[in-house]
Amino acid sequence: MDSFLLEALVNGILLGGVFALPALGLNLVFGVVDVVWLCYAELVMVGMYAVWFLYTQAGWPLWMAFAACLPVVSLLGLLLHLLVVRPLLASPPINQVLATGGVLFLLQGAMTLIFRTDFRSLGVDMPPMEVGEIFVSGTKLAAFCAALLGAALLWAFLKFTYVGTAIRAIARDREVMPLMGVDPQRIYLIASAVGGALAGLAACLLVVQLDVHPFVGLSFGPITFMICVMGGLGNMLGGFLAAFLMGIIVSVGGFWGSTEFSYVVAFGFFIVTIFARPRGLFAR
Amino acid sequence: MTAFRTTRRSLLGAGAALTIPATVARAQGPARGGDPLRVGVMTDLSGPFAGAGSLPLFWGAEVAIELFNERGGVDGRPVQAVTADSQSKADVAINEMERLLGQERLEVVTGIYSSAHAVPLSGRFEQSRKMMWITSAIATAVLKDKNFRYVFRPTVHSDQYGEGSISAIAENAQAKLGLAPDKVKLGVIYEDGPYGTGVASAIEANAKSRNMPIVLKEAYSSTAPDLSTLVTKLRRERPDIVLQVGYNPDITLFLRQAKSGGLRFKMLIGHGAGWSQIDRLTETFGGDVNHMCNVDPAATQMLDWGKLQPGIGDLAKTFMDRFQAKHKLSDPPTHASMGFNNTWIFLEHVLKPAVRKSGGMSADALREAALAVDVPEGGTIQGYGVKFAPPGDPMAGQNQRSLAVVMQFENGKSKVVWPASLGQPIVMPLPASNAYAAR
Repeated sequence: MDSFLLEALVNGILLGGVFALPALGLNLVFGVVDVVWLCYAELVMVGMYAVWFLYTQAGWPLWMAFAACLPVVSLLGLLLHLLVVRPLLASPPINQVLATGGVLFLLQGAMTLIFRTDFRSLGVDMPPMEVGEIFVSGTKLAAFCAALLGAALLWAFLKFTYVGTAIRAIARDREVMPLMGVDPQRIYLIASAVGGALAGLAACLLVVQLDVHPFVGLSFGPITFMICVMGGLGNMLGGFLAAFLMGIIVSVGGFWGSTEFSYVVAFGFFIVTIFARPRGLFAR
Repeated sequence: MTAFRTTRRSLLGAGAALTIPATVARAQGPARGGDPLRVGVMTDLSGPFAGAGSLPLFWGAEVAIELFNERGGVDGRPVQAVTADSQSKADVAINEMERLLGQERLEVVTGIYSSAHAVPLSGRFEQSRKMMWITSAIATAVLKDKNFRYVFRPTVHSDQYGEGSISAIAENAQAKLGLAPDKVKLGVIYEDGPYGTGVASAIEANAKSRNMPIVLKEAYSSTAPDLSTLVTKLRRERPDIVLQVGYNPDITLFLRQAKSGGLRFKMLIGHGAGWSQIDRLTETFGGDVNHMCNVDPAATQMLDWGKLQPGIGDLAKTFMDRFQAKHKLSDPPTHASMGFNNTWIFLEHVLKPAVRKSGGMSADALREAALAVDVPEGGTIQGYGVKFAPPGDPMAGQNQRSLAVVMQFENGKSKVVWPASLGQPIVMPLPASNAYAAR
């Protein structure tokens, strides 16, 4: 295989790892609470600012800034649920979407007021790995490994804990589980906090790769939604796999065609998918 | 260096600008003689463009209006800026234009950072017979073959960017790289809006006219989350020189991924917008951006003020002192000079004579005054003169005396390296100590 093509393929897989975490978080919240957090990418953006601020302005070590980011964004997820989503749970879905869309603009505006529109950078760089003619970004590789670890921890939490089991049960049947003694409101809160924490983890991975600015969500937010729908909204495994598929399509499509062409292919594939399998590529 | 320091005062300022998009800035200073002259100023105070030069563009215009009013305005009548934030979105720009022309009943709107906004706006201004005075958006397509009568652009256009970078390479290839110009391989990457596309076409046309091979020419979205495949392709094609046209998140993303992706080259030349923000780039990449180049109109501090027309050097100094006192930038970006200079040209050479001649400031009176402007070379703080292409010309409304230069970065400062007559010798190829230098 052409070594440059192989490099593009590896890059696609690494890119998929970056998309996978926000896709997981978004799917978790939708699967459990049945509300799409339109502002999910903006939660990630707030997390990126938190890391940037703690590391470059407050002088914290990077690992501490990362560690603090998770609870901060998790708390934000909780607040989002308590203040915006819960009062609208009985409302038509469009109201919920519009409300979380409003939060999107609120967060963008708030960050603009606090940090202005400048592009902020951590200035952290890891040396690339060079294998033969192939270069692999050390930063992306580390982010990819962290994404896999995060996904594995989430899987273990959902699989082996009582709360995780309850979350999966609620996701499967929202009507029946309360009759079995599960308190849905509590589970919604936990799912929102975990969804927020995943956004925090995604922020840690993205802040070393992208500059932070109030509109950084535009770079990965739309494609994250597309991945979730493609994998099956609410289907965590489906979203996870779709993220890698999308990463490879974007990367290899860009290699064979052009960067713009790769997104045409990706969106074309998405449209065909939702026509052929409206419930998602990996729906059972 | 802290280029854009966040203070309580600046936050309040930003808050006012962002939460009240229709801020009316009341004139200060001694101009007291009559009704204010209301002028629209539309820039992107929020959104990605704000951090890619639109804010300094606005700040420069702000200083120009303050200074003009302090110096008496037009026979005592102050200029009152009616500001609008186009939020880096073309649809918002169109809505704001409708507001400025309809609700505010303005005859002229200055500013317009992005070509992606200028293209749709220009036709609407023309249709409304109101003046559009573009201080930044550079795509040639805004004016080419449109024969607009009410759209004027005192600054450069994208064809001049292509001419600048390719000429600088061709004139230095043999001496600096040991290569005949037609042996220098070029890689051209650009954002896919009118700005990037316009400059890339100009680069291609200029390269073709000199038989310089372009081994890769590819567009990308400025909001793309990943450009590593583009880096891989550039590495495969091994260009000697990479020419990039981009805003800001895409430039830093590319540089970061180019470094980690093993892309090396003999020179990288940017073309305005994000590449003009040398403070930002230096803060992010440190010495790695040393000796990279950028094409743009010259920021005034790069010029020898003694060589400008009488009085212009003093004007440049006043602007720089005020701008730096307000914004604490070590090397204000070109957009600051553009904002001041092109607004000043309007106020001093168009508005003033139009009001004096007609007693008012109708778009027709302004247009007539604009067509009569004849400022010689060295007559503005950016070094160029002003003479607009008349109706019927393929570039009607374009300043035919505008000038783009190639500048090179060194430790957070820029110096002019092309045209050779204005600048210092270029450092090329990138020194071996540079992280991107081809070895």
